[in-house]
This record gives sequence, C-alpha cells and structure tokens, in this order.
Amino acid sequence: MKRHKHFNFQFSIFNLAAALLLLFAACDTIDSEEYTIYDGAPVSWSPAPAAPEAVQRAYIEKYTGPKCNNCPKADRTLDAAHEQIGDRMVVVAINHPTGQGIPYPNQPDLRTDGGNAWDRHFGITYLPSIHLNRTELYTGDISGIASNISQSLQGTPQAAIGVQAALNGSAVDITVDIQHTLSSTLTLTAVIIEDSLAYRQLDGAERVDDYVHNHMLRKVITSYWGADLPAGQNLLRGTLSFTPADDIVLENSHIVVFLSDKASRRVINCASCPLTTDH
Amino acid sequence: MTRKTLILSLALALGAAASAQGILGGHVTGNVQLDGQMSRADSTIGSEEVPERLLLNARADILYTNGNFSAGIRFEMYQNPLLGFDAQWKGQGVANYFVKYSGERLTVTAGHFYEQFGSGMILRTYEDRYLGIDNALFGVGLQYRPVDGITLKALAGKQRHFWDLGAGLVRGLDAEASLNSLIKPLADSKLRATLGAGFVSKYEEDENIASAANPEHRLNLPLNVGAASLRADLGYGGWSLQAEYARKGQDPNAVNGYIYRPGNALMLNLGYSTRGFSAGLQAKRIDNMGFKSVRSLSGEMLYINYLPAITKNHTYAFLAMYPYATQVNGEQGVQADVMYKIKKGTLLGGKYGTDVHLNSSVVTALDTTVTGLAGTDGYTAETFSKGPLLYGDVSVEVAKKLSKSVKLTATYAYQVFNPAAEGHYGAALIHNNILVADLSWKVSKGHALRFEAEWMGSDSHYDPAAGHDDRRAGDWIMGLVEWNIGTHWFLSLSDQYAYNDGTGNYYNISCGYTHGATRFQLGYGKQREGLLCIGGVCRQVPASNGLTFSLTTSF
Repeated sequence: MKRHKHFNFQFSIFNLAAALLLLFAACDTIDSEEYTIYDGAPVSWSPAPAAPEAVQRAYIEKYTGPKCNNCPKADRTLDAAHEQIGDRMVVVAINHPTGQGIPYPNQPDLRTDGGNAWDRHFGITYLPSIHLNRTELYTGDISGIASNISQSLQGTPQAAIGVQAALNGSAVDITVDIQHTLSSTLTLTAVIIEDSLAYRQLDGAERVDDYVHNHMLRKVITSYWGADLPAGQNLLRGTLSFTPADDIVLENSHIVVFLSDKASRRVINCASCPLTTDH
Repeated sequence: MTRKTLILSLALALGAAASAQGILGGHVTGNVQLDGQMSRADSTIGSEEVPERLLLNARADILYTNGNFSAGIRFEMYQNPLLGFDAQWKGQGVANYFVKYSGERLTVTAGHFYEQFGSGMILRTYEDRYLGIDNALFGVGLQYRPVDGITLKALAGKQRHFWDLGAGLVRGLDAEASLNSLIKPLADSKLRATLGAGFVSKYEEDENIASAANPEHRLNLPLNVGAASLRADLGYGGWSLQAEYARKGQDPNAVNGYIYRPGNALMLNLGYSTRGFSAGLQAKRIDNMGFKSVRSLSGEMLYINYLPAITKNHTYAFLAMYPYATQVNGEQGVQADVMYKIKKGTLLGGKYGTDVHLNSSVVTALDTTVTGLAGTDGYTAETFSKGPLLYGDVSVEVAKKLSKSVKLTATYAYQVFNPAAEGHYGAALIHNNILVADLSWKVSKGHALRFEAEWMGSDSHYDPAAGHDDRRAGDWIMGLVEWNIGTHWFLSLSDQYAYNDGTGNYYNISCGYTHGATRFQLGYGKQREGLLCIGGVCRQVPASNGLTFSLTTSF
C-alpha cells in the first residue's frame, strides 16, 4: 500500500515538474537589432470635425544608398512617374544601413533608426529596392512602376487621410484626419522627409559630389510601426507633436503620414504636406 | 486571505500548538538577539551624531516542530537600524513565517524559505543578520526524492526586500543524482560522484529605461531571464573535485549597466587531504553574472544568486582591513591553500607538533573591450587573458603549542589591493605587509588570557586634501588583551593606532557575561569606517564612537 502511495506522489510530482519545465522554457532572447525600442511621439485621438478628402494615394518606399550606382537611375524613373501621376504619389527614400548605404567619408549620414528597422524587417539585401504600398517589391528594372502606381490609384479608397503640419516654436504640430470603413486594426505612421540634400552619390560609374537627394527620410515620428487607431471609430483626428533635429531644413521638409493594416503592414492610404508657420 | 490574517492564523496555531505540548506532542525552540548602539560625533574618525541616541536591531525566531510538521515565525525590529544598515530596514513586525512538511520522500515548504542550488551561482537565498541581507523567497518550495540518490527541487516565489517583496517572480528547478546510490557497482567504490543541474527563471514586468546611445529609445527588456548550471562533485580517496558551470541569458540590469551580454561563470575546486596534510586549489571565472529579481536595483539586496568568494575570509583585524568584494560583473582568480602539521617529536614540531597554513589568492579583472553602453552587448572579453589585478595576497600562519597551557600563532601576510574593487577607479594599488602574533594562555581551569599584537606597513597614506580620504590608509599597530574570567565573564581591551601616514586611534573595551545559552556583551570604543565582508558580500560600515551592547539567548 505504501509503495502505491509513493507511486501516486511520484506521478503527480513529475507532472508538476514537467509543467514547470514548460514554464521555464520562457527565457527571452532579444536580437541585437532590437535591443532598443522607439515608442515615438504619442498620438492623441479625438473625433474629426469633418471627413478628409477621399483621395487614394500611392505610398512609395525607396531603399537607397550613396554607393548604390543604380539608385540615381531609379530616382529618375520615379521622378518621371511623379511628373505623370502628380501629388497622388508620395515617396519616402530610406538610406540602407550597411554596404552601399554607408556614407562616403566626411559626407552626411542619412541613416535613421526607423529606416534601419524597416530595412531589416523587409530584408533589403540589394539596392535600389522599391516598395509600392509595402505590397509590391521592385528591384532592378522599375520601368513599369508608373503604370502599376496608376493602377493602384483606381477605385474608391478604403480609407481617406489628410494631414496638416505647423511650426509651433521649435516643435512641429501635426494634425491627421482619417475616415475609414475597415474593421481590422489600423496604424498611423508619421515621418518627416527632406528634399534638396546635396551630397556625394555614385551614379553609374561616376561619383557625383553634389547629387541632389530628395524625399530622404529624416525621422520616423511615431513608433516605427505606427500608433494604433482606436477601435470602433471611423472618423477621427490624431494629433501629435515633435521637435525636429537642428540639421533638418524645415523649408525643404514634408510630413508624410500613412495608414497601415497592423497585421500585414500593407499601406492603405497616405498623405503629405509641407511645414507651415501659421498655427 | 490577507497577509495579516495569515500571520495571525499562523501565530495562533503556533501558540495553540505550544500550549498543547504534551497533548499534541512536538516542541518549541527559539532564539532572541538584541543589538544596540549609541554613537556621538567625532571629527577625528568621521563619526556623526546619532539623533535617536540609541539604535536597536532585534529579532526573535520561534520554531515549532511536531513529527514531520514544523512551522516558524520571526519577529524583527529595527528602531532605528544600527549604523551601516540600510534605512529601509526601519520598522518592526513579523518578517518571516513558514509551514513545512518533511516526509520520507517529499518536503514541502510554504511561506518564507531559503534554498541553494549547487554552489549558489544560479540560486542561493540566504540571510545574514550582520550584513543586513535577507533575500528569502516567499512562496512554495518542494523537494522530492523519487528514489534513493536522486533529489529534485522545485520552487516559486518572490524575494523579501526589507519589509516588502521584490517585484520579480523567481522560479527554479534543480536535480541532483548521487551515482554511488543509483549504480550498484559504485555503491562501495572509492570513487564518489554526484551530478547536478539547475535552472532558474525570473519574470519581471516591463519598464521604461532609456538607451544610453539614443535617449529617445527605451530598452527592449527581456521579461523572462533564465540561468542554468551543470555541476559535478567527484571524489576518489583523499582527492576531491567540484566543478560547476553556469550561464545566464540576456539580463540588462542596473548592476551591469543595462547591457545585453549573456553571463557565464565557472568554478573549479580541487582538493586533497590526508592525515596531517591538506591542499586545495580553487579557480573561478565570472562574467556578467549578477542576477537579481529586480533589474533596476543596485546594492546587495535581491540577488537571486551568490558567487562564492575565492579569497580567504581573514579574521585578524589588519588582515581583514582590505577585504575583497566579489565583482559580479567580472573577475577571475585562483586560490591555493595548504595545511601541514609538522609531527611532534621532530625538530620543528617540538613536543606538541606545529601547524603550518599557507594561503594565496590572486584575482584579476577580465580582459575586456568596451563596445557600448546601455542597450548594447556592452563589451567583449578574452577568455584566457587577464585584466588589471584586483586583489592578491599570500599568508603564512604557524601555530605552535609552546606548553600544555600556552599556544602561539604567528602570521605574516602580504596583500596587494586595487581600490577599483571598491569602485575607486584609477587609484594606485595598495601594498600591505602584515604581522600578527596571537598568544593564548590557559591560566587555570576556566581562566584564560589571550594577547594579540598586529602590525601593518602600507604604502597608502591618508591625505584628504589630495583626495586620499580612506581612513584605513597608513601604517598601523594594534594590541589586544582578552581575559576569560571563569566560565561566565570575559573582558577585552584593544587599541588600533595609525602611527604613520594615517589617522585615528581606535580603542575598544568590552565585557560580557554568559550563562547557559544566554550571553550579554557591553562595549565602548571607536569603530573605523570600512567594509564588512562575509564570503565576498560586503556592507559599508560607517565610523562610530560610543556604546554597543548585545544580548543573545536561545531556548
């Protein structure tokens, strides 16, 4: 009888030990690229006074680098597309963190933590690398991108988004109005980009010292993957504020905002605006 | 059930059980300790006025045992804490309570308990009243022996943090197997082998800690931090070998500067002993192994693990003046210890024989290259390369009975101490030569005298204007006379004096009375500021000048 009692004890103890072992398997390991987190500027939400204009725009992410000899060719292709499509195409250029993205000596370093995080997430291995709404990837030959962008602008938008940005002392106040009909969780990401940055760039076989870089990502203002939109609200206004770094020329800068599906990270719509001084 | 209700229920159960002795059986044991201190300002030693006039630490442990069942309770009071104890100890109340069932195979403890896995490198909860450390786990602990030779341990709980509990949740599993019990052919073998393995995990909620490189970023903290160890304890004849290797996962915390480098530790202990001779060789390397249940806490509280010291814990005053504190962020060292008894009847052994004790230890920092601050891996370390010397000593102790009633112990020691081990980076190494003579004389039955003379020559010097404000500096002499008067009383007089390049004259007089298990001691004198270290764990002791008393008793 005693042996039987011990056996039961033994059985339950081993069950307990096995359960504890499973529990202890939870020993977190963090990749070195993710040692730090950027929470970004907090977004305050309220009902929007009016719906923004329902315009579908295309969000283009261009991964580039000063030592990427084909990147200027991609710039020219995108510029041509922009001539054709106009402001319904919003470009954000992201400096690749390694290899061809490393700046020449004594040249500006346009790499950003947010851009690096996106680059790592999307596994960018060669340049140029261009994403349309974070759904379609173009590398090498991007000659057909203009027609694909045009095609993406067809139909009724699932979400409308509008943005205004104003200088308030040294800070920039951003107001984003959103209207959508989606039930999935959406996120709002805001970034600042800068045009007319002249620094050394490899263009084909030639090294151009004053190559003009446009749409360069300077900072992801929200957290890298955006702030969650409150559930159950289809017409809302998000406000946020941040202080840009001193080396950003605000007159040459734009605020870009985009709505994404949180799960797939697909961009649903976007908008951009210059910085104004009236507030 | 609230904590207060639990304590009350336990106290009532203990009381009822105690009053029912003889009906329910069982017995109650306990001990009481009271330490008091008065101190006044003295600019010559740096002591400050104690506004309360009287400081008191008190505790009473009561243990009830009845067959397989036991329960305990401890009352503590710090009103206010003695000098050198953290002010957070201030208060009084029931600090520790538990119930325990100890069966033939199974032991279960609920409440506060202490546990150790192997040498403690991944888990050791303990209490040291003199250091002011109590990191007891409050939770549940199981110990189970499914068969003879195998011991399994499992535990979960939170650690005591002064009068509260630390926020971190500690879980642990340990298994130990004695091969001599499990494998029949080894039962009577001269080879003795015990193998063990343990795993400890800590869970703590997320918090906002800024990255050093980019203050806009916060650290992505691991919420579950694990540590595991493997160990072996082997013996053959007079030989013994203990080895333990431990690893800890990413654990950015206040002690390591919030770096993500995983930790590891290796401890080896080789020994040989035979009649009249023993020798030991110990080696240790630890790299980022501070493991606490609350990541943002520095200091000595809430350590889950314990990293054994590799230097000798000296007892003579000057030998212990520069104690070495284990560097949990990284150190490596070796210690050799040889004891030899020269036989009686030989030229050196004389009529009673002579004991010779040699000890030496060397500890260095790791050879590291810093790669970043908080939010990075922190540094890289070369495995078989050494960094700056942190501590080194060699001591020779010769103990000889000169007659039936007189015994002389003479010690010479040489120490090299790096103030960086106490956080004073960049300061010059301190070199000390120390001589000790300790003479014990049994005057008559129950009466004994002990004389102690110490000298320390040091290249350190006390010069506050130049930033050298360590009051241990300089050359010192010391004398001590201790008189045991009968079986009850004792009287002790001592004085430490910095006669060159130092400051301070620290005299002390104390007397005591012992009756059975009760001992009362009263002292008056000056205490030099410094470090009190036990097993490599240290507490800062400030200067004091005044009365001390203590009372201990057990029942």
